Amino acid sequence: MSLLKIIEVFRTKTMKRIAYAALILIFVIDFFIPRYEIHFFGDVIPGFWSLFGFVACILIILISKWIGRLGIMQDENYYNE
Amino acid sequence: MKIITMSEMFIHPSLFFILGGLLIPFLRGRTKQSYMVAMALLAFLAVVIMPHGTYGIYEFLEWQLTFGNVDKLSKVFAYIFCIMGIIGIIYSIHVKNDGELLAAFYYVGGALGVTLAGDFLTLFLFWEIMAFSSVFLIWYRKSEFSVKVGFRYLLWHVTGGLILLAGIIIKYNLSGDLTINHFPFHGWWPTDLQSLASFLIILGFIINAAVPPFGAWLPDAYPVATVTGAVFMSAFTTKTAVYALIRVCAGSEILIILGVVMAIYGVVYAVLENDARRLLAYHIISQVGYMVAGVGLGTQMAINGVVAHAFCHILYKSLLFMGTGSVLYMVGTTKLTELGGLYKTMPRTMIYTIIGGLSISAFPLFSGFVSKSMTVAAFGEEHLMWAFLLLMLASAGTFLHTGLKIPYFIWFGKDRGIKGKEPPWNMELAMIIGSLFCIGLGVFYQPLYLLLPYPTNFKPYTLYHISETLQLLLFTQLGFFFLIKKLWCENSISLDTDWFPRKYAKVLMWFANKPLSNLEYNYIGEVYEFIIQKPIMRVAYYFMKIDTVVVDGAINGVGKLAMVCSQKMQKVQSGQIQHYAMIMLAGVIILIIIGVVLP
Repeated sequence: MSLLKIIEVFRTKTMKRIAYAALILIFVIDFFIPRYEIHFFGDVIPGFWSLFGFVACILIILISKWIGRLGIMQDENYYNE
Repeated sequence: MKIITMSEMFIHPSLFFILGGLLIPFLRGRTKQSYMVAMALLAFLAVVIMPHGTYGIYEFLEWQLTFGNVDKLSKVFAYIFCIMGIIGIIYSIHVKNDGELLAAFYYVGGALGVTLAGDFLTLFLFWEIMAFSSVFLIWYRKSEFSVKVGFRYLLWHVTGGLILLAGIIIKYNLSGDLTINHFPFHGWWPTDLQSLASFLIILGFIINAAVPPFGAWLPDAYPVATVTGAVFMSAFTTKTAVYALIRVCAGSEILIILGVVMAIYGVVYAVLENDARRLLAYHIISQVGYMVAGVGLGTQMAINGVVAHAFCHILYKSLLFMGTGSVLYMVGTTKLTELGGLYKTMPRTMIYTIIGGLSISAFPLFSGFVSKSMTVAAFGEEHLMWAFLLLMLASAGTFLHTGLKIPYFIWFGKDRGIKGKEPPWNMELAMIIGSLFCIGLGVFYQPLYLLLPYPTNFKPYTLYHISETLQLLLFTQLGFFFLIKKLWCENSISLDTDWFPRKYAKVLMWFANKPLSNLEYNYIGEVYEFIIQKPIMRVAYYFMKIDTVVVDGAINGVGKLAMVCSQKMQKVQSGQIQHYAMIMLAGVIILIIIGVVLP
């Protein structure tokens, strides 16, 4: 089936390299993008949202897991149902 | 009752669902399937031809009920509810259980009724129809836990409904007017009767909007609903609440904080969640958070953004529930710890789900991009940067879970050798329609912008905005693969705020079963017998003597009649609350029919 082959292509090492290249490209392009409306400091720093996205993702995972370990996560039979 | 105005052009779209639904049990096979889709299409048509204005006004006792209040705001919501009705019905036409289909029909009819209601009493009526019909979508999962979850769901919604009703009554007593008007709540706490009324009304609304700490019912109930039921539920309850909030509470500052908290809260719980449908349920809370916050901001741009976002949200969220529902239907589970490697057997379902995931994550060219950005940008315009940044943070979280975690762990991840299969044609057709809407709205957004309540010249596709979004999302993806080991799920549940009522209920039951019933049985019962029961028995004995001699003869005839009647009634008294709820609902429907059709 052809759809399956297309999906397989996306799982190759080459695709992974292309993805990393795209990341760098997007980061670099941001240096040349004009800003018309500036609402706060982040709007003037080139590549601000790259850093924001990465840090946000890491923080969300780590803080949520930490909160989960405080007692939020329980066994599936916690309520005895 | 008499009609004051009734335009020829106005046909209430709920009629197609509420009256039209009644025929479902009498039809079979293809006829039934075509009939159901036709009813939804007719309802959509009724919305298309609906002119702005007020229709369907009836005098009922001392009140004036308005069933058709049509303006830009109600019309755009009526549009999306009808479109969702069509998609949802196509997705569920293979369902054999008529009760489930009927429940879905009444649920959609209720949502349309709320949207077009012009007074609080009508709104409340349809509000309750929604609660009592949607609970059947949970019960029809037909497992022991779905019964329990259904009761919990009902308790939340009955409580919310009563709080809303209390607010409505106070408002009516103050103003003598039931018309739905702008009635925002300012401050943190009610200070006088006027603000108490708006406080209770807003509280009633936010319980349905699943605002924490009152939102635990949503992730409790939706994953337990039937495959098709969850698709409907993901669309209607929270979004009618958002509609009601826009109508009544726009500009209530407290909603900004609640909305932002909600957006983050949903994201945090989604990290911990193992069940894909429950994860999506938490993301409903997160997405509705954007809307609630936007309503709190209340500027024209924010309201436009909220409406556009609700519109797009209904489509992509139902698409996501259809995709994961297909997995549940074909494989039998949505637990991420039991899934993986399904891309080999369900690749098309995967593509539809990913389209939903990209839309909710607001990727350029997908629907979320043109709606979420408007809401978030409204916060930038007002220089509320803390809210703006937290909402951006939640955006990263949205992509992390719905765009990455769900597709990765269901379709890739660890191949567990599960044999899946693409779902039946009708389920796939519904997903194709949903996908087309998600991409279509992302590319051709102008028609949607024209439907919004206020004129707008917002341009989503600016270079900076595209760059901002791509950076945010793609670097989130980098973070995802960076920490993927941390994201492997565990077989666990996450305690939510419903821990308090659920634990409290256990304590209450123990108290009723042990100390209270002991006290009743051993002491109060005894005292009662000596002081009250025995003397009464004595008096009764004398009365009986008179009775047997004088009255009996006359009464016997009547008694026999009553006996026959009560034997008939016995069948209705099944002792199951589901049946009572069904009878109550039927009664309400009959009342509406009498009210709407007969005059």
